[in-house]
Amino acid sequence: MSIKTLEIVRKRLEERPEELREARKKGQKVVGWTGYNVPEEIIHALGFIPVRIAVGGDDRLVEVGARYASSKTCVFIREIVGAFAENEDPYIQQTDFLAFDATCLQNYRAAEVIEYFFKKDVVVLAVPRNFAEDDAKTYFVHEANEFTRLLEERAGIALDPARLAESVALYNDIRKTLKSIYTFQAAKDNVISWEEVYDLIQAGELLDKHEYLSLLHQTLAELKERHHNPVIESDDGDSRIFISGSLIPRGDRKLISIINSVGGRIVGDDLWSGILPHLDLDIKEISPAGVALGYLNRTPHAALPYLNLESDRRLKKLHELLSQSKAQGVIYHTLRYCDPFTFKAKETKNVLAKSGIPLLEIHTEYAGSDYEAMKTRVEAFVEMIRIKSESVQEEAA
Amino acid sequence: MGKQLFRYSEENKERFLDSENITFNDGSVVTPEEIWHYLTVEAPVKYPSAFEINLYQGNRGSRDETLPTSLKTRYLGLTFSARMERAKDNGKSIAFIQGGQAVDPYTAADTIALRPGLVNQWNNGLEYGNDINKENLRRKKSKEKAFHDMSFEACQTGGYEHVQAGNLRIDVIAPYTVLRCSDVSYGVEAHRHGPNKDVKLLNVDFPLRNQADKPWAIEYFAKNLRRLVQTLDEVTGRTTTEGDLLQAIKLHNEGRRLGTELAELWWSADIPPTNSDDRASLVSLGNLETHGDVQASLSVLKEAKKFIAERVKNGVKGHAVIDNPKRLFILGSCVGINGSRSEDAGAIVVGRDDQWSHCSSLVEEEGDPYYNLAKTTLEYPYEQGIEKRAQWTIEQIKKSRADGVIFIHNWGCNTQAAISRPIVDIIKRETGIPTYIHERDLHGLRDEQEQNRVNAFIEML
Repeated sequence: MSIKTLEIVRKRLEERPEELREARKKGQKVVGWTGYNVPEEIIHALGFIPVRIAVGGDDRLVEVGARYASSKTCVFIREIVGAFAENEDPYIQQTDFLAFDATCLQNYRAAEVIEYFFKKDVVVLAVPRNFAEDDAKTYFVHEANEFTRLLEERAGIALDPARLAESVALYNDIRKTLKSIYTFQAAKDNVISWEEVYDLIQAGELLDKHEYLSLLHQTLAELKERHHNPVIESDDGDSRIFISGSLIPRGDRKLISIINSVGGRIVGDDLWSGILPHLDLDIKEISPAGVALGYLNRTPHAALPYLNLESDRRLKKLHELLSQSKAQGVIYHTLRYCDPFTFKAKETKNVLAKSGIPLLEIHTEYAGSDYEAMKTRVEAFVEMIRIKSESVQEEAA
Repeated sequence: MGKQLFRYSEENKERFLDSENITFNDGSVVTPEEIWHYLTVEAPVKYPSAFEINLYQGNRGSRDETLPTSLKTRYLGLTFSARMERAKDNGKSIAFIQGGQAVDPYTAADTIALRPGLVNQWNNGLEYGNDINKENLRRKKSKEKAFHDMSFEACQTGGYEHVQAGNLRIDVIAPYTVLRCSDVSYGVEAHRHGPNKDVKLLNVDFPLRNQADKPWAIEYFAKNLRRLVQTLDEVTGRTTTEGDLLQAIKLHNEGRRLGTELAELWWSADIPPTNSDDRASLVSLGNLETHGDVQASLSVLKEAKKFIAERVKNGVKGHAVIDNPKRLFILGSCVGINGSRSEDAGAIVVGRDDQWSHCSSLVEEEGDPYYNLAKTTLEYPYEQGIEKRAQWTIEQIKKSRADGVIFIHNWGCNTQAAISRPIVDIIKRETGIPTYIHERDLHGLRDEQEQNRVNAFIEML
């Protein structure tokens, strides 16, 4: 498929750690952030360089992390803790301080453990569970203001509303462009794959935001040139797979490679590490409160409990994305001890079954020992979807 | 061959009959004579598992026959299920709550508040005649229902197996969410897909991370408490006033004060005045929610304090406690060790952080009761960040003169497991006391593997 800009993105990622090193020598500070509701625009507007702390796929680091945060913590968090313990990750090495949120309680615990064992300065943003209630929003606004104050202290400057407006505009443009690019991967005769778009989304967690936007525009221009009319519909013999569930960060491509290896075509996701955080973020007011509420009002993260199944916006969004991508089945990825998603696996399966969409839960960790077992299950699922799709086509014919 | 059952000796009956009645919330009274009859005649038939002499029993709290209040807590425990059924028959409202929280607002709203352990206890008591192994099998089977509908990695399942997949008549699931546990909040959410549409759901949103100094966090939690009371009122049909909450706070403060005094009295003794389980069952009365009846708990607690003071004064040693036992302090949520086997190995449990944290937190009685209750709850030592929690724990360890500390977490309890190492790290560094971290299964019998580790630790001490 070979979109040329993607090559540039890969090259720039290789150069990025050195670039951060140089920037720090010149006095700039790097903030490592993680958490679904961390308002990155505020970090950016204060002149910090934001990089997302999201690494996965390394079972050895998971083991290292378990020594500090117990073997009962989810593998993603264990790997992050392990990465801080070893301090060999080029991005972690460059962080001056960290900004974590408490959307997922394990993320919050990671902040505490990293603070204690590795003496890192961590600013934590508390997140209300009752996110849909007005008083929860008021509380979150206070928390966002406090979060901003703590960042201002570290920046040595006050947040300039004009700078915040610039950052919001920049991030809005990034989100808008990403959404346009995302459409191309799900199209018939696609010239870019979901995997490539996924990598591109994650590149934005690390690259300079202005440069990233320019690379996105370049990518979009290339796509438009090569695919004039992207229509999302099934190619013959497609097994269109949607990935949901626990995040799949940089370094973890086990499930994705398995799906590819058995002939499945991924056409969409609602992963925290994928397109989801870039959707529906509507910042109505240029202020820390406005940005924070924009984040809180998006499709909620599964870690935030919602007590009415019928009006659950997370499930509504899943349905909407499934429909848009014309996916035929969902592979629901759950990481070991990732409670926000494992608790909802069966419920999600039952909800989707009412719409005739099959769901396969793959529960895994970063060890390679379950590779073949996963492959057998995924292969059977992909084959089932293909047969079902073919029989529908035959009936239609 | 029949199981060997423990029986109370008639020679202690007279002393027991001289003790006080238990008075319940509804004003009813049970006399020592009635209690004695229940414990010696009815209960061994209904609940042989509770009387079985078995290594895996894990509790011989009922065996100190010369401590009348020990028998009374046993009575309250064994009659729990029947009392809850009766309460429901009489139209009483019952709420599922989180462990580690005070129940003042529930008391104010005339609602019985049951934490997960008590909900399980209610369910366990519904079936009669089981031995300890059958009982254990039944509990596991019941838990499997929840695992099936939620996640097999769950530690707490929010009472799902009883309220949705089972038949307990709980009206409202309304815990302080994420207080020390994340599984309960997912468990509450899981109820939304269950068949029981009548049960009300509410997250009482306890905000995390050093919130006690933030006025907006206190306000937010206070609003959650108001919403809680409104929700409870919707079930009962009554209107709970601020005055009702203040009265409930005063009542619970009395329990907390008595519980704290009892614990400090126990700690002051050179010779342990009770064994591990009796100590735990009496001190935990301070929270007044342990037996689903605030007044009953209070009346036994008041009497217990007198008995313990007498024992401390006279240097009486608790049942089955050896001379100079090694003193263990247990950390972690919803956990404990097999008291009797640990005592056989030469130790005694002198304290826990769980349940004790909120028992030792008195609520201000002047001013807005919602605000005061919210502030105190946000200040619970157990819920603070690593350093602050560890410092409070160290104070308790020193007060209790513990020789060793065990941090236990249940399988799947990632919220506590994640910080177990830093907590014991600080304790070890600042006190020099040996510690170890122990993982166990919440839903099983206390097995050999677990006891081997505990015994090795005791031996090392």
